[in-house]
Amino acid sequence: MAKRAILSDIRIQTWLLLGPALVIYVVFAVFPMLDVIWLSAFKWNGLDPVKEYVGATNYVDIFTKDPVFWVAFKNTVIWTILSVSIPPMVGLALALGLNQPIFGRNSLRAVYYLPVIIAPIAVATMWRWMYNPFFGLFGQIMTLLGLGAYVPDWLGSRDAALYSAFAAHVWQSVGFSMVLFLAGVQEVNKSLVEAARIDGAGRWGVFRYVTLPALRTTLTIVLVLAIISSLKAFDIVYGLTGGGPAQSTQMLALWAFTQSMQIFDFGRGSAISVVLLAVTLAVVIPYMRWNQKREEAAQ
Amino acid sequence: MASVTISSVRKTYGAVSVIHGVDIDIRHGEFVVLVGPSGCGKSTLLRMIAGLENISAGTIAIDDKVVNHLEPKDRDIAMVFQNYALYPQMTVAQNMSFALELAKVDKATIRQKVDAAAAILGLEPLLDRKPAQLSGGQRQRVAMGRAIVRNPKVFLFDEPLSNLDAKLRVAMRAEIKSLHQRLGTTVVYVTHDQIEAMTMADKIVVLNAGRVEQIGTPLELYDRPVNRFVAGFIGSPAMNFLRGTLQVDQAGLKVASGSVIAIGAYPVELTGRTVEFGIRPEHIQVTETGGLDTLVDVVEPTGSETHVVADVAGEKLVALIRRRMPISVGDRLPIVFEEGQGHLFDAESGQRLILSSGQA
Repeated sequence: MAKRAILSDIRIQTWLLLGPALVIYVVFAVFPMLDVIWLSAFKWNGLDPVKEYVGATNYVDIFTKDPVFWVAFKNTVIWTILSVSIPPMVGLALALGLNQPIFGRNSLRAVYYLPVIIAPIAVATMWRWMYNPFFGLFGQIMTLLGLGAYVPDWLGSRDAALYSAFAAHVWQSVGFSMVLFLAGVQEVNKSLVEAARIDGAGRWGVFRYVTLPALRTTLTIVLVLAIISSLKAFDIVYGLTGGGPAQSTQMLALWAFTQSMQIFDFGRGSAISVVLLAVTLAVVIPYMRWNQKREEAAQ
Repeated sequence: MASVTISSVRKTYGAVSVIHGVDIDIRHGEFVVLVGPSGCGKSTLLRMIAGLENISAGTIAIDDKVVNHLEPKDRDIAMVFQNYALYPQMTVAQNMSFALELAKVDKATIRQKVDAAAAILGLEPLLDRKPAQLSGGQRQRVAMGRAIVRNPKVFLFDEPLSNLDAKLRVAMRAEIKSLHQRLGTTVVYVTHDQIEAMTMADKIVVLNAGRVEQIGTPLELYDRPVNRFVAGFIGSPAMNFLRGTLQVDQAGLKVASGSVIAIGAYPVELTGRTVEFGIRPEHIQVTETGGLDTLVDVVEPTGSETHVVADVAGEKLVALIRRRMPISVGDRLPIVFEEGQGHLFDAESGQRLILSSGQA
């Protein structure tokens, strides 16, 4: 009886439910996060039993002596700016279109969402083929259109590679924001749309004064998630260009990985990761607080 | 102010027809209530006047101008929705001025109109609040304010009081009616609540299954319903109906149990006809001696009156008694039907046979 009484205690039940996940989070998320901060103060090749304490040297080095860090930083910023503008805009346009009573609407929604469920590394492999200047899809299409002489080296050119990789990212990620926007658009109060039409609003007016304000929460969520995923952008770039040519598509997350796992400078790799972590937290913490306030207000 | 003329209007969704050729004439400044049970097509009809639904056939004209193909914004109408439909991100003042701003009216005029409407509706202290900070009644008033500032030809109300509690509903009912008297604008008002219809309307249109059953003033509908549907729909508590065969020689109605219930005198040519006899609860009187013998089933005192459900020859009747009487369940209660207050309807078609007892 006593055992049953303990098990029926709501606090015990809560810990029984949360406990296993908490252990996993602590071991695989919290500990590595703290460990990486610790490691960033050392010089270590990942194999030696002794780590040499160097204080803030790794940070000073990446900021002052590592030109690739700044390239990666700039690329990550460009990637983030593009990610918060293009995929959400395309996603919103698709959601508005797919909210109309058109034939095959559900199938189209599935088609547009499909790339989201493909592994980024598979998307990278696919797009690498399509970008092949000799027998890739895009080159073939341009040749068919008589533009064969102008087929660029999509992934081989330092000027084009980042944007070519980003196009693949848009193709993969747009379905995600589309689904979130679609859910938001479906929640728009129909009476409000009708009231606006009677008040004299045209299509743009209805969008501006009814649809868009109703999508404010969705829009914030989409933008914050886009920022977070851009800051940690790794796999699709790794699969498409590996950071090249000549580091022109290098990203912070990829550079941290390269420093640690390929150059075996774990201290510097960790320092880059900590910078990335700080930037991410600067975005995530206000978002979490906003979310919490919103939930409290809803209650 | 404007007239609204609805001529042979039909509405179909694919093969399904929901409005079957409706004709209604609404005069300048009239308060017309479209009333009927759920699914009768009243809201659809209102939305067709507003331009929110296409008209499958027939015409709707506002001030003699056919508006079938005009956008809602070009019909010079304002609509108050059941759920208020206030823009949540805008303040009360912004909600009220929105239509005028879209119409590029100058700011001074907008301010003046919003202030005037706010004064009429007692909204002045709320002008800077957002809809979420208002009570249901306040939101309803803002929705009306939004309609008033536009000074439209026609106000359309779509069950505007349904989301309010009973007390507020009565208060808002009076407010809307006094507003109409003050502004004199033509109103088309949809409700499923016949009390709302009776208390507010100059003219009631009773709709059922996409057809007009009767159009008339509240008292015309109450006193002379053209068919059994209107008779049963208008009035609360509802009219009582007894189905049976007329026995004119006995001034009675032979009901299913074989008993003959005294209903008063009717023309002899109706003898043997199967009818439904209707009598309103307030036209049933408790008598001291004689009358019909009933057995009391349910007693519902409301304070001002008492509703008594009684069994007479196997049929249930509701009587509305205004004087205080010691009545209990199981009592035997002798009743009579007031002379000349009965209604006869053909049992098959439901159409009225005689306007009141003894009158052809």
